[in-house]
Amino acid sequence: MIPQNFEYSAPATLQEALQLISGGECKVMAGGMSLIPLMKLRLAAPEHVVDLGRVPGLNSISESGGVVCIGATATHHDIESSPVIRGRVPLLAEAASHIGDVQVRNRGTLGGSIAHADPAADYPASLLALEAKVRLVSANSDRTVEAADFFLDPFTTAVESGEIVLEVLVPIEEPREGYRYEKVPHPASGFAVVGVAARIKKAGGKTTLARIGVTGTGPRAFRALAAEKLLESGADVATAAAAVAEGQETNADLYASAEYRRHLTRVWAARALTLALSRAS
Amino acid sequence: MNTTVVGKNLRKVDGFKLVTGGAAFTDDVLLPGMLYGKILPSPYAHARIKRIDTSKAKALPGVHAVLTYKDVPRVPHTTAGQAWPEPSPYDTYLLDSKVRFVGDRVAAVAAESRALAEQALRLIDVDYEVLPAVLDMEAAMDAGAPVIHDEPDSTKIFDREHNIAAHIRREIGNVDDGFREADFIFEREYRTQRQQHCMLEPHVTICWLDGDGRLMIRTSTQVPYHCRRQVAMILQIPVSRVRVIKPRIGGGFGGKQEMLLEDICSALALATRRPVKIEYTREEEFYMARSRHPQILRMKMGVKRDGTVVASHLQVLATTGAYGSHASTVQGNTGSKVLPLYRAPHLRFECDVVYTNTPVAGAFRGYGCPQGFFAQESLADEIAYKLGMDPVEFHRKNAIRLGDVDKLSAQLGEGKEGLPRVIRSCGLPECVKRGAAAIDWDRKRQSLPARAGFVKHGVGMSCTMQGSGIAGIDWAASFLKMNEDGSFFLQVGASDVGAGADTVLAQIAAETLGVSLGKIIVTSGDTDFTPFDTGAYASSTTIISGGAVKKAAEKVRAQVLGVAAKMLAVPVENLACAKDEVFTTTKPRKSVSMAEVALQALYQEKLQIMDGASHYNTDSPPPFCATFAEVAVDTQTGRVRVVHLATAVDPGVAINPMQAEGQVEGAVTQGLGFALSEELMLNHTGWPMNPNFLDYKIFSAKDMPKLTTILVETEEPLGPYGAKSVSEVPINGVAPAIANAIFHAVGVRIRKLPIRPEDMLRALYEQQPELKPEEALVTQ
Repeated sequence: MIPQNFEYSAPATLQEALQLISGGECKVMAGGMSLIPLMKLRLAAPEHVVDLGRVPGLNSISESGGVVCIGATATHHDIESSPVIRGRVPLLAEAASHIGDVQVRNRGTLGGSIAHADPAADYPASLLALEAKVRLVSANSDRTVEAADFFLDPFTTAVESGEIVLEVLVPIEEPREGYRYEKVPHPASGFAVVGVAARIKKAGGKTTLARIGVTGTGPRAFRALAAEKLLESGADVATAAAAVAEGQETNADLYASAEYRRHLTRVWAARALTLALSRAS
Repeated sequence: MNTTVVGKNLRKVDGFKLVTGGAAFTDDVLLPGMLYGKILPSPYAHARIKRIDTSKAKALPGVHAVLTYKDVPRVPHTTAGQAWPEPSPYDTYLLDSKVRFVGDRVAAVAAESRALAEQALRLIDVDYEVLPAVLDMEAAMDAGAPVIHDEPDSTKIFDREHNIAAHIRREIGNVDDGFREADFIFEREYRTQRQQHCMLEPHVTICWLDGDGRLMIRTSTQVPYHCRRQVAMILQIPVSRVRVIKPRIGGGFGGKQEMLLEDICSALALATRRPVKIEYTREEEFYMARSRHPQILRMKMGVKRDGTVVASHLQVLATTGAYGSHASTVQGNTGSKVLPLYRAPHLRFECDVVYTNTPVAGAFRGYGCPQGFFAQESLADEIAYKLGMDPVEFHRKNAIRLGDVDKLSAQLGEGKEGLPRVIRSCGLPECVKRGAAAIDWDRKRQSLPARAGFVKHGVGMSCTMQGSGIAGIDWAASFLKMNEDGSFFLQVGASDVGAGADTVLAQIAAETLGVSLGKIIVTSGDTDFTPFDTGAYASSTTIISGGAVKKAAEKVRAQVLGVAAKMLAVPVENLACAKDEVFTTTKPRKSVSMAEVALQALYQEKLQIMDGASHYNTDSPPPFCATFAEVAVDTQTGRVRVVHLATAVDPGVAINPMQAEGQVEGAVTQGLGFALSEELMLNHTGWPMNPNFLDYKIFSAKDMPKLTTILVETEEPLGPYGAKSVSEVPINGVAPAIANAIFHAVGVRIRKLPIRPEDMLRALYEQQPELKPEEALVTQ
């Protein structure tokens, strides 16, 4: 279908963009890979679309002080191919490579994806496992929130009216840690029916740190804290994986019932953890 | 056979236009003043329109017509594009005061833009009396179920009080006696789903009045002639006032063997006296077009200890949705083209086709056979396993063979008695042999189950057949005339829907006339300029339309030789034509070019070399197919991945092997979706839940397994140059081959399609508890 009529602005500077959206009566667009389909399906009909695509520098990727800083309009392709990200936070590069198809990865952005907060998106699992932070700015504010406090509900985030996602800050992974993102793609849409991001650090044969982020399973991405604790206290992968969806609300749809989804979460958590463990040294 | 054009991989005659984006398809024209038509779909599965007010919609500037049932003739008809008199019930109306499924027509508008048309639809004020609906086919015949067709003027409905659109019972031999003779009897129930065609090009129609006030219909159809007849009848105008033009078509698969938009688009054009276009969106295509009939099949087979099948009994309950398009004929095929695969003397087929308040089913590649073969070939595999036989051996022992007569076809024709089917060509044994070799059957049957790991592999197979045209009903005509340069215009009513009919027909003409393919210029599917043809369905075009082309070409060749005989001063008997010339077959060799013959005829003899011919067959020779699949089943998630699919098909002689292989590959792609992922789902109020490609999964290039396609050519006496057909048969065996391979891999029988991972896993844990992963991962 054709979207309903809307006003379109493409500000040339961040200041201009923040001024435009300060009124709140508009929708911010980056790559448009989520917003445009919604508009074409008439599930979204914004009066005014503000396109951040022409704001210079908003897609930069850099590292300083043990943190990788990724601009909101960095594309999935930028992220999967960036030497900085592949070297410093390879889990995120791996997650990016699972998103959509080549065309979507060339257009879609990190900031757009997380601001849209589809419960079946790929990034949230990794961002949670990486304990990333999201920097939000508006015309008169600048704040940083933990990834764990960012994803609130389906299509609902901590972003407030007048704010945009400016950048994502990811603490670097240690070279010796193991990581893995595993996903059950929906056969038609390619979205994550279940996606599990795992990070493991080992010392002397013991797991000293485990971080597990899960997307797709519930209405919002979550950290599997109980499973992490089990691993850190010496439990095996199967035991930890069994606890991965513990206490979490579970989605159900035409493809997978809640029961089956919980099952898939455990199976794929076990697979992700096994691979992460094998990569850790 | 010694041929120069037939049997060669020549390029499609319309290929250049297609790949360069020429004005090929219905929607590629923009007529001055063209309006956009849009249909208001019913939001209720079953309701009566108590009041409908269109005044606000009509008042919207740019809206030129709003039609409701009050504005159009009420003529009971079927939308099924079948030969007259159609065997489908006359239960459909251009517009009606009752709606029978979510998506049924309530009203139609024509406006200056699509947006305006959509806006106008929202301004139509409708009061519905919502009626109880029946969505479940198993409840449709119950006493007290809502009667979907309570209108008195519909005809040819088997039992309207019980929502039975059609009922079939046919028997050869005596099945009860047969079961008494059997050493073992097996009986199982199978279920198949609502699959949608998902053709690349949706239904689209443009209608206008020409300078003489005649109604022009440019439309994406498989059946231009049926469409012309039906539109004329529904709108109550003479056939002579209607012209149907079929341009290039972006796929039909049976979905366009249907007069679907042409009537309402014509009504809007007549009302506005302006060109009107209606094009379905993808969403509309899913639930406002047609789909495959869902069926519940109870298959019972009696066998001797040595594996000989003595009796088969198939009982089918199917739903045709809210209207009976193709109801009796699709289901008739489920019996007549499936049961006779085995040589059992006793066969019985019983079927009820019921109305439900669901989207309308219709023709779909395979036409009832994919459902029937899923049941029969799954059960055959189960029997072979129980008897300790290799399924290949079971088929070798029981399958129909050369010289056999299929008597069930004589009882089950197109909605009436048919004609017996004599097997005059049969490559099935060779198909099985070569398919088995391609998949490495003997080794993998032994070695695969022994493999370690949680992903289990298995191989399975199935044998299937189809028809080539409807015996005694399908017919076609063609016409050829010669031009100065030795080229020929070929006019055929046949409808190339993308499968390559124009090319195949041109190859047949070129071969017969002894000219190169480039010398044949094809015009097809235009009711003003091409002779009659029943249309592109029932795997008929190559054998029936091709037969007509060959006959016409033979007549024209005789005229060519007649002129050449005078020119060369030799008797006609001593002449032949090949390579664009006519030459003597006796020494000394003398020749004239086709162009010289044409110039002589046109300017000296004052003779237009031209002729036409009509053709039909009283038999429908079956193409055969053996399908072999290797699958990998993830026993932790239930995901089934097809690793390799080998399809060996006997199409008779392949007129264009490259195109024939393309047909096989396309058919198995749809077969994979039918087996593993495709199902249009409805919620409890009859609303479609997945009418889009984000939720409804069709197999695309990147999902395909390794494919091996094998053509096992035989020579069919009834076909032009020995051809039968190819387009439908390869879809039939994919689902049972996969289901049988799953059994080989993990020992679980899946009897419901599509085989979804969650269902697979549940069945696995139920039937093979030892495959459950360790305790910690068990489902709660």
